[in-house]
Amino acid sequence: MTPPPGESIAAMIRQTPVPPDSPTNRDVMDVFMTTPGLGWLLLIGICLGGLAGGATVWIYQIYKGLGIAGYSHPVFWGAYIVTFVFWVGIAHAGTLISAILYLFRAKWRNAINRSAEAMTIFAVFSAQLFLGIHVGRIWKAYFILPYPNQRALWVNFKSPLLWDTFAISTYTLISLIFLYVGLLPDLAIARDRTSGWRKALYGTLSLGWQGTSRQWKAHARTTLHLSGLATPLVLSVHSVVSWDFAMALVPGWHATIFAPYFVAGAIFSGFAMVLTVMIPVRRIFGLEHILTDYHFENMCRFLLLTSTIVTYAYLIEYFIAWYSGVEPEKTSFYLRAFGPYWMSTWIMITCNGIIPQLFWFKKLRTHIPTIFVISTLINVGMWFERYVIIITGLSREYNPAVWGHYTPNPYELMIVAGSFSFFSILFLIFLKLFPVIPISEVKELLIHDRAHGSGHHAEAN
Amino acid sequence: MPTLLGIFDSPTGVAQAVTHLKGRGFTNLDVYSPAPFDEIEEAVDPKPSKVRLFTIVGGLLGVLTGYAMTIWMSLDWPIVIGGKPHASIPPYTVIAFELTILFGGIFTLIGLLVVGRLPSVKLGPGYSARFSAEEFGLIVEVPERDVAEVDGLLRASRATEVSLVAA
Repeated sequence: MTPPPGESIAAMIRQTPVPPDSPTNRDVMDVFMTTPGLGWLLLIGICLGGLAGGATVWIYQIYKGLGIAGYSHPVFWGAYIVTFVFWVGIAHAGTLISAILYLFRAKWRNAINRSAEAMTIFAVFSAQLFLGIHVGRIWKAYFILPYPNQRALWVNFKSPLLWDTFAISTYTLISLIFLYVGLLPDLAIARDRTSGWRKALYGTLSLGWQGTSRQWKAHARTTLHLSGLATPLVLSVHSVVSWDFAMALVPGWHATIFAPYFVAGAIFSGFAMVLTVMIPVRRIFGLEHILTDYHFENMCRFLLLTSTIVTYAYLIEYFIAWYSGVEPEKTSFYLRAFGPYWMSTWIMITCNGIIPQLFWFKKLRTHIPTIFVISTLINVGMWFERYVIIITGLSREYNPAVWGHYTPNPYELMIVAGSFSFFSILFLIFLKLFPVIPISEVKELLIHDRAHGSGHHAEAN
Repeated sequence: MPTLLGIFDSPTGVAQAVTHLKGRGFTNLDVYSPAPFDEIEEAVDPKPSKVRLFTIVGGLLGVLTGYAMTIWMSLDWPIVIGGKPHASIPPYTVIAFELTILFGGIFTLIGLLVVGRLPSVKLGPGYSARFSAEEFGLIVEVPERDVAEVDGLLRASRATEVSLVAA
């Protein structure tokens, strides 16, 4: 291999054939570089229809006022807040997978974290839509921010709604930073292999990343620190959302269990959403060898764990209602199960508490169609959980004379459907624009295995 | 000074080459790598990354801002809410906590950009798409008279090819 002595410098500049590109690069690039297929176009068409419907209703609501929603005394937090909490919950899977599992060195997260992070961002965006929709007078929404104004008034920092503002905005920004930092090396991969507008896009976004050891070292340190920061953040965000309820004196809301109860529910619903979305994506784009059944099985184990925590919280709520001996609490919980909203309650208990227990069986948590059905049912169940908490709580407060009844009307349901379309559109566009599998992280494992033998892989898992 | 580029196909090979080169006094070197590998980063520069300074500064600034902002704004137009003191620490801790994370995260990102010398408009010498595939590139500046020696050294460390990227 050593060149003969005296070989001139000029002779050393030689061209050798470039070896073929990395198969991992090709597999993942195929997902977002290929022209959208008929299925994608059809899906985005349907979603655009849903979004147009929701947007029209919202514009109409801005014009007419919140009166068009189905609010009826005393229930003034309806489907909008239910769906807001639902989306904030969905948003928890991404950061959990990226940050907490990173700190625990659970290497299996590598294949799934990008899609979960993207879902986090889009779910937070969907949740934030509802803040605008729910306040009614959208042109005054900025009143929630502490900005200097001619009335010399400041916001009320003692209100949980304001904590929520800070928690949700922080969560949005940190999740965006997390996603972007993870994307940087993959954007450089795309930059090196594209031309035209895509090269301009990836070239700009990748900021001239070239994977020098100085950059990778800074990158690893950044990921570690962002994980360290995002771990308490993800636990705080849904805790703060739960305090929107728990700080009020409404029976069924005023409980100290709310923060952990909501956080477990958020992780539960977020993982379910990742499964519901990624099972079809994996099938359509043929990513079975990167996103293996092993990943899905681990996700199912998480569902089983969080389902059990959530069920425990349901039971404790009933126990405390009985044990406290407080009449309004007891009545509120009795009416949850056997009152006008009994159906929502039983959907919630069946979908979140009973059905996920099927994952105790290895056969079922490795059977992809079963996972898909169960994860979808969990999404339904978790929407109903928020519905049960909010609506039964508000409709049955202390004084029976002011009890009321609320059902979401078609306008509200159209806006809710619009938010699902909004989320799907963003994710569909992401699929066709950015690598949905973190290429460099998957390659890190592959190269590592090749260099040190594949026995290492099992241990790393 | 001429710049040599050695191409490797395993992280251990690059790390060994870097150690050899540094041992021979060629310290003006860098590695392009498709993914992070501890052994390479250790060989090139064993010092911990400076990003950590950015995080701690950001975090501390965040917690200070959180308490200072909430307390000052409550005292600027004092209104008694819920019979609590104007400067009520428990509720303000939530804000201070969120701002700690927010500022810490933003500063960490700035740290990545500063320490990683990003954004950079031009790509480094010898960079090619092979290093975002699965190969490793070791780039080293050597005085003209040492070119042959370094070339041999790189090949001895199992470089698959060596070329001169700048004379």
